[in-house]
Amino acid sequence: MLRKLLKHEFRATGRIMLPLYLILLATAIGANFSTRGLLETDLKVLDLLGGLLVMAFAVAIIAVCVMSMVVMVQRFYKNLLQDEGYVMMTLPVSVHQQVWSKLIVSAVWFALTIVMVCLAGLIMAFDIDILEGIGEVFHEIFQHVTAYYALNGTAIAAEFLVVCFLGCCAMCLHFYTALAIGHSFSGHKMAWSVAWYFIIQFAVQFVGGMLVTLLDESWLHHLLLGWTDNISGMAAVHFGMCVLIVGELVYAAIFYFLTTYFLKRRLNLE
Amino acid sequence: MAVLECKALTKNYGHLAALDGVDFAIEPGRIVGLLGPNGSGKTTLIKLANGLLTPTSGDILVCGMAPGKETHALVSYLPERTSIPTWMTTTQLLDFYQDFYADFRRDAAEEMLQHLNIQPRQHIKQMSKGTREKVQLIMVMSRAAKLYLLDEPIGGVDPATRDYILSTIIGNYNPEAAVVISTHLISDVEKVLDDVIFINQGRVMLQSSVDQIREEKGMSVDELFREVFKC
Amino acid sequence: MKWQFSNDAPIYTQLIEQIKVGIVVGAFPPGERLPSVRDLATEAGVNPNTMQRALAELERDGLVFSQRTAGRFVTEDKTMIEQAKRGLAERHIKTFLEAMIRLGYRPEEIVSLLRQETGEEGSANGGSGM
Repeated sequence: MLRKLLKHEFRATGRIMLPLYLILLATAIGANFSTRGLLETDLKVLDLLGGLLVMAFAVAIIAVCVMSMVVMVQRFYKNLLQDEGYVMMTLPVSVHQQVWSKLIVSAVWFALTIVMVCLAGLIMAFDIDILEGIGEVFHEIFQHVTAYYALNGTAIAAEFLVVCFLGCCAMCLHFYTALAIGHSFSGHKMAWSVAWYFIIQFAVQFVGGMLVTLLDESWLHHLLLGWTDNISGMAAVHFGMCVLIVGELVYAAIFYFLTTYFLKRRLNLE
Repeated sequence: MAVLECKALTKNYGHLAALDGVDFAIEPGRIVGLLGPNGSGKTTLIKLANGLLTPTSGDILVCGMAPGKETHALVSYLPERTSIPTWMTTTQLLDFYQDFYADFRRDAAEEMLQHLNIQPRQHIKQMSKGTREKVQLIMVMSRAAKLYLLDEPIGGVDPATRDYILSTIIGNYNPEAAVVISTHLISDVEKVLDDVIFINQGRVMLQSSVDQIREEKGMSVDELFREVFKC
Repeated sequence: MKWQFSNDAPIYTQLIEQIKVGIVVGAFPPGERLPSVRDLATEAGVNPNTMQRALAELERDGLVFSQRTAGRFVTEDKTMIEQAKRGLAERHIKTFLEAMIRLGYRPEEIVSLLRQETGEEGSANGGSGM
């Protein structure tokens, strides 16, 4: 059933995101023209046109980034907490599947947005030399990481991706939690949702601050210091990544629990 | 076994009791009217049966199970307000129902849509409010479900549409299923009902068969309703 | 066929009556197959269970009979249909008489009034049809 939810979720979001990507790539081509000459001509008209094309490109980048966020938030609240919720929340699927389908689809669009913005950047600056240059730079970075830190570049990359995915999930779940709690109220649902977003934000920062203060000079602090003193730079990086991953996992899990609890037990459709 | 059963079912909103110790059972093969004035608890009851609300105390069981994804597969629900996703085309909506419900009879749905002259490529948001309501009813009645829960299916529609809706319900429900129709427009649905449950201020006032009321009291359910709920 | 229901009697008894009328006037001809219960119910706008009950009752009276697989048929027995017609007529006459008596008419007056209305009385000598 998760597969079917994903299919319809992609249908619903793709009709917004895919045309946006096309527009982004089109403006990138336009910007490419302008950087490769339009801006340096003597003709005022072409000059102006070149400027506009570059501006359109900048606007398109911002629009794609903003829209991927808007779509993430809107799909959750319009599809599950507004009228459509009557249909969605009575499907023969679990609340967990509902939340996962939203999370996965949002993560995919975020990743694709990053890829598309990079691609658009490349198109704008398209020039054989530049492309080759970039390829070399990446290759070198990778080699250096592997060589200098005698470290497994692939493992670091994998860890990095996991951190990104979890971070993305945690961010989405932060929004979902605020919306799910806010919409359990009988009135001013959206205002409550916004309020809860900041309440949660505050709570997270408060708890984070408390942890740092409490753990400072505590047994854990010393334990960690003891460890890190004894391990090499490479292992320290791995260790740091793992700590980050576990931290994000706990953070996301709390939000996940709250979201599903409120959707299951405190749902209050108008 | 009862298709829908309530045992001492209570639902509070804050201090307000929307349902207060409701007990009844609905057997398969019956069309049941859930009748009561506005705000009597009809919608709350139907939402509880769909798992859209959680009971404060007591139980509500669909085919012996508490509402959840297993019961959602057995229940076909028409909410009070139109709620099919408006960005979809008719075809996408059919795909959607077919994907999620094993009991969806796509042929029947397509035939009914064709009868209304609704094009497969038409978007739901391009349709009038009345057409959207009909489309959702068609989706709901095209399932061979065990329990149909229809919340105010004829509220605020013209007489011709009302006839269309009622004949769509009668002509398509699964005969082994139970149908629950909640409404306050009793004279309009009376002829299609087997049984009625009168509900007021969260309590069941009466559960009886329509024939029994007419035979014993010599009056229609509508007349009885007016008598029971006289202001 | 047009279906109409009053408020004071159970729906199934009203259905029985109206199907009988349909058979008598030939809307459902003798020996013909009746539409399915669901179709009849949809047409009349009533619950299929109620329609089923009405048909079962008619079957017990012998006006319709069912064949295991083929469905329900109207009886071919003309005298039985005639009897049903007579029964319906008697019911109508009875209610008519009750109403007239309540208005204060005596039987002879009712008969002469009827004659006048149907044009049989000699008021317009010879102007009568049949």
